[in-house]
Amino acid sequence: MSESLLKITNLNAGYGGIAVVRDLSIHVNPGEVVALLGPNGAGKTTTLLTISGLLKPIAGDIQLLGSSTTGDRPEKISRRGLAHVAEDRSLFFDLTVQENLRLGLTGNRETRSKSQENALDMFPALRPLLSRRAGLLSGGEQQMLAMARGLASEPKMLLVDEMSLGLAPIIVERMLPIVRRIADDTGAGVLMVEQHVGLALAVADRGYVLAHGELTMEGSAQQLRDNQSLLEASYLGGEAH
Amino acid sequence: MSALLETNELTVSYGGLHANSNVNIKAEKGKLTGLIGPNGAGKTTFIDAITGFTNVSSGRAEFNGKDLAGVAPDERAKSGLVRTFQSLELFEDLTVWDNLIVMAEETKWWSFLADIVRPNRVLGIEEQAEWALNLLSLGEHRDKLTLDLSHGQRKLVSVARALAAKPSMLLLDEPAAGLDTVESQQLGKHLREILKQDISIFLIDHDMGLVLSVCDYIYVLDFGKIIAEGTPEEVRNNPEVKRAYLGETAGEMQAEGGAAAARSLSGEG
Amino acid sequence: MKEGIAYAIMGLGYGGFYALMAIGIVIAYKGSGVINFAHGAIAMYVAFQFSYLRSEGTFRFPWLDPIPTSFLNLPVTLSLSNGEPINFWIAVLLSLFTALILGAAIHYLVFKPLRNAAPLGKVIGAIGVMTYLLGVGSKHFGSNQPQPDGVLFPDKLLKNFLGLGLGVSAEALALAGVSIIAGAVVWFIYKYSRIGLATRAAAGNEKGAVLLGYSPDRLALFNWLLAAFLAGLVGILTGTVTGALGTGKFTGLIVPALGGALIGSMSSIPLAVLGGLLIGSLQTFVGTYVSGLSWFPAWLYSGARDSIPLVVIVALLFLRGKSLPIRGNIEEKRLPLAPYPKRIGKYVAIFVPLGFLLSAGFPGDFLFAGLNGRWGMALTTSLIAGMFGLSFVLLSGYVGQISLVQISLAGIAAFLTARLMSHYGPSDSNPFAVGGLHLPWPVAMVAGVAVATVVGLILAVPALRIRGVQLTVVTIAASISLYSFYFDNPKLTSLQGGSSYIIQPPTFFGIKFGSTGSQGLTDNPKFALFCLIVLAGLSVILANLRRGSSGRRFLAVRANERAAASAGVNVAKTKFLAFGIASAMAGVAGVAGAFQAGSTSAPMWDYGVGLSALAFCYLGGITSINGAILGGMIAGGGMVATFGNFHSPGLYSYIPIFGGMGMILTAIIHPAGQASIFQPLMRHFGSWLLTARGKEWGVVLRRLAPYLIGGGIWGAIGINPWRTDTYNRTWMIILGILIVLFVRNIVVQVKAAKAANALPDTNSLQEVTA
Ligand SMILES: Nc1ncnc2c1ncn2[C@@H]1O[C@H](COP(=O)(O)OP(=O)(O)OP(=O)(O)O)[C@@H](O)[C@H]1O
Ligand SMILES: Nc1ncnc2c1ncn2[C@@H]1O[C@H](COP(=O)(O)OP(=O)(O)O)[C@@H](O)[C@H]1O
Ligand SMILES: [Mg+2]
Ligand SMILES: [Mg+2]
Repeated sequence: MSESLLKITNLNAGYGGIAVVRDLSIHVNPGEVVALLGPNGAGKTTTLLTISGLLKPIAGDIQLLGSSTTGDRPEKISRRGLAHVAEDRSLFFDLTVQENLRLGLTGNRETRSKSQENALDMFPALRPLLSRRAGLLSGGEQQMLAMARGLASEPKMLLVDEMSLGLAPIIVERMLPIVRRIADDTGAGVLMVEQHVGLALAVADRGYVLAHGELTMEGSAQQLRDNQSLLEASYLGGEAH
Repeated sequence: MSALLETNELTVSYGGLHANSNVNIKAEKGKLTGLIGPNGAGKTTFIDAITGFTNVSSGRAEFNGKDLAGVAPDERAKSGLVRTFQSLELFEDLTVWDNLIVMAEETKWWSFLADIVRPNRVLGIEEQAEWALNLLSLGEHRDKLTLDLSHGQRKLVSVARALAAKPSMLLLDEPAAGLDTVESQQLGKHLREILKQDISIFLIDHDMGLVLSVCDYIYVLDFGKIIAEGTPEEVRNNPEVKRAYLGETAGEMQAEGGAAAARSLSGEG
Repeated sequence: MKEGIAYAIMGLGYGGFYALMAIGIVIAYKGSGVINFAHGAIAMYVAFQFSYLRSEGTFRFPWLDPIPTSFLNLPVTLSLSNGEPINFWIAVLLSLFTALILGAAIHYLVFKPLRNAAPLGKVIGAIGVMTYLLGVGSKHFGSNQPQPDGVLFPDKLLKNFLGLGLGVSAEALALAGVSIIAGAVVWFIYKYSRIGLATRAAAGNEKGAVLLGYSPDRLALFNWLLAAFLAGLVGILTGTVTGALGTGKFTGLIVPALGGALIGSMSSIPLAVLGGLLIGSLQTFVGTYVSGLSWFPAWLYSGARDSIPLVVIVALLFLRGKSLPIRGNIEEKRLPLAPYPKRIGKYVAIFVPLGFLLSAGFPGDFLFAGLNGRWGMALTTSLIAGMFGLSFVLLSGYVGQISLVQISLAGIAAFLTARLMSHYGPSDSNPFAVGGLHLPWPVAMVAGVAVATVVGLILAVPALRIRGVQLTVVTIAASISLYSFYFDNPKLTSLQGGSSYIIQPPTFFGIKFGSTGSQGLTDNPKFALFCLIVLAGLSVILANLRRGSSGRRFLAVRANERAAASAGVNVAKTKFLAFGIASAMAGVAGVAGAFQAGSTSAPMWDYGVGLSALAFCYLGGITSINGAILGGMIAGGGMVATFGNFHSPGLYSYIPIFGGMGMILTAIIHPAGQASIFQPLMRHFGSWLLTARGKEWGVVLRRLAPYLIGGGIWGAIGINPWRTDTYNRTWMIILGILIVLFVRNIVVQVKAAKAANALPDTNSLQEVTA
């Protein structure tokens, strides 16, 4: 139990007291990439927002690095080593790309410049843009910046919402191994939401499928891949309502 | 037959950066023209330029045989050149229905006087808005504020809003981003239906499953320049496009996945 | 020319003052997204604090004991040295301490809760703080206007400075120097410390900052402390520059300072300092040197100095602005929704006769015998304020343009109407009367309103490229310029020595509709009826605009200008339309105001009057027509104030304090205004009047009975049995009931929010990002 970086038990989460996600239990172990899948409106974003403390859980418990986050303010949860790349990217439009990155850095001067370099190595497309105002970036460039900023903080636990949103296929192709490598190299846990099921399952260790706020499938990536038809059904089922 | 929308050496610069350089694109009437390219290639900039949201540095853009230079964005919209935004940009405090009506209604300088006397006069535009609403199955959300919808639904509202104007050319900027696979396939079907209504479409998207399956002709932009053009099949097998944009696996997988899902959908229907 | 340069250098004194203020304003803006209109008021409070510490050694807390009692009073004044002046440095420390307390209080009590409010809500919060501080300030210090001693090189004159032939005071140069040093220090902090960067980040995207582990709260607190500290510095250092201390002094000077801040785009400290110095220097150069030159037209003399900030900022912002916002512009938080007006016919059918009944009943004081028509006066005042509020609803509520120049437009219409109607020249009884064309009132009124509309349309031009709070500052500057350039300029108005135009009462088929009633008071019911009909007419026009195609375009522009343009809405035309109609409405209200007063003079159209009108309209609910009407009811001199006056004779001097607190509270608790509370009530009330059923009344009464009875008893005891001031017992009962109902309402709101079970701030975060 103390092994999991993130352990969610029987979580109910939602807006205005109405649960959108019900009775959800998931966990992420160190060095693991876990995919959170499901049709639009299933409650994936809601789950991530609740993990990072931006939404208060209605019921259930969230353990991060072995201790409960109940009642903690989101900035405190973040300082424990959680990075959340939000669905809306949450960039600072008025700041330059460089400044956006700088705000993600932690540690002393040396480690900071090192992690910035690392982040830029993963997204070389950002290098020529360092002095551009983030608001002027194209949609995909913004997504890369959001990812880079999340990685720059060298998180112990990384949440990524809609990772490939607006990214060119070639970038997605490069990004997936990066996610894998982060988990393998640093032992961080990754929980990612991704619409391209095939791609996500290609790098993930395990996956959860959410539909209408409830867990409909879970298992290793291999199991989910093998059960393609069931997986598709949960998407279609999601659409029917 | 000349193209509905045609650009000639269109160039857009921001400072020293050429976001579009000498772009020549033709979008034919009744066809679905696609534009793809890596992030930051200048696709959105292209739409911005032809709809008047950014200044053109040099070159021409023609719509329906008329030069667009100096025409205000709202005039272009009224003449049938209607766009959506990558970043949605809905009217958040209007209902879905009113979002559509704003787009559809013709106004004269004296409209405000008419409003004072008869605010609810019949505008004769409901039909078009109704059609757009139903086409995208948004009927049940008609009287909701766009604020209360999920991301995917908001995306569809932005498409419906553009359709309500009864455009002759619809410019879509990443309509499928954030939609799930099933939704994006359905969007593809809708797009083909829209084409039948005498509305030509210009589509930007990174969802290769969608783009490769619905487009008639595709342009590929990289660093502001057109690097390839052709039918989906040609573009997909172009090594240059593979190198700059599609990559080895991801694009393939998406395209395959899209095709497979399309098959399964049509098998059902 | 040499002389001109010398004047420009002298102007650096004011310039340094503006620059110091501008730095503080920029900081507050970065930290909380607030255009801090209260910045000058903080400086004022500290200036007085310092001056009193230095003269009599007393320290005053920035609050009042609202209900003095024989025991258990809030400490307000501390005497530190038995009336002796205290040590200079201790006084400085205590004064800066005061500034820091104010900064912290403003953060925790006002802008932290308002963090996610729309910019207009924050503007109202700032106006509330300003009103409060001015109120407390005049209670504490209002009795005299000390001439403080200078702090920086007092009375040192550098004769024949730089060989320019004129003496320049050392203080002016020192102030400019201090502002540059302060600017450099603050600039350094923002440039090189993480807290500076994080502040800018959190101001742009709070969710992003939170997710990276920064606490927006602490950042904002840090910025408020820094801003307040700088305001304190201004208060201590610049006492002599601005002459004798007065409570209103610093507040009026906030506009040139805002101009400086705007030159720095509310973000660049060095540019803000430069802008402040430039404006100060130009003002003295133009106002003293150029305007003294022989070719300078006399009619321009009066407005020259005050127009400088306007000209400078409009020119700069207009050049910098774009006709459509470019991509990646930070979107402003939304105003509350603008409800779709329903059942307009019913409303008019019920409330017009009701209002008529009331107004016709008042002169006889059938209800309140012996009150001499106060109610009639209050009702007309409220109705006129309501008309004026409608112009805010259209412009700010529907189209999102926060314009503070409406008051000047009202004034222009009133002045012109009065002038065109007038037929007297100067006479023995009134040597100052001004003659005119003697036109019938409808013609004069139409002409006056038309001119106001044209001026409004001209002022709409900057709005095409200047947006949001920047536009607000521009319109305040415009209002101040118009005041000194037109209203207070005898060369244009022919009004000598602050006199006023006489305006003839309107007549209708020979019947006088003037406001003066039988007892010589302005309580004529016919005039109230006249106002009632005009207000109803304007409301119906506005409601229909909102419901029609224009309304949809208005809201589209308010929501998103880029999207509006892409939807074929001509943004410029839509803004012109809104400014035009709103100006006409303001003009009508102005003329009605003049008719009510029977005369009109400059002070009626001061920008401060406009600020408080906006605030009241916001309190009522700036996005709805009901809101404007309710705003009229609570406006100064209106129904509610008149009612409140019975609380106790001394209440009057507390009005700014309670008013300020009310504004802040409303901005926090009910961004949609009080009207949204009354909305359901009014709706049911309307139907009940037609189908009054005892049963329904019974249900409501039973639910509210405990509060009514409890509040009444509490009031009868006198709210606070130990109070020592005089008050009117009868009215305390009603006050008690009102307070209880108000508190109940807040509790209900808070409970509802709790039930929603979300952290209050993340809830709104979600809304913003959804
Ligand atoms: N106003 C501007 N000033 C400076 N640079 C800009 C401006 N607008 C866009 N750019 C830059 O121009 C380039 C092209 O942007 P554009 O939005 O057209 O890309 P895109 O092809 O739509 O990419 P994506 O697929 O990521 O949306 C980007 O590098 C962007 O940063
Ligand atoms: N701010 C909100 N207020 C109310 N309901 C919301 C809000 N955000 C999302 N929802 C609803 O919650 C459900 C789940 O949404 P979300 O978590 O965003 O789904 P996903 O990320 O899986 O697409 C949807 O039905 C959506 O309409
Ligand atoms: Mg989501
Ligand atoms: Mg784009």
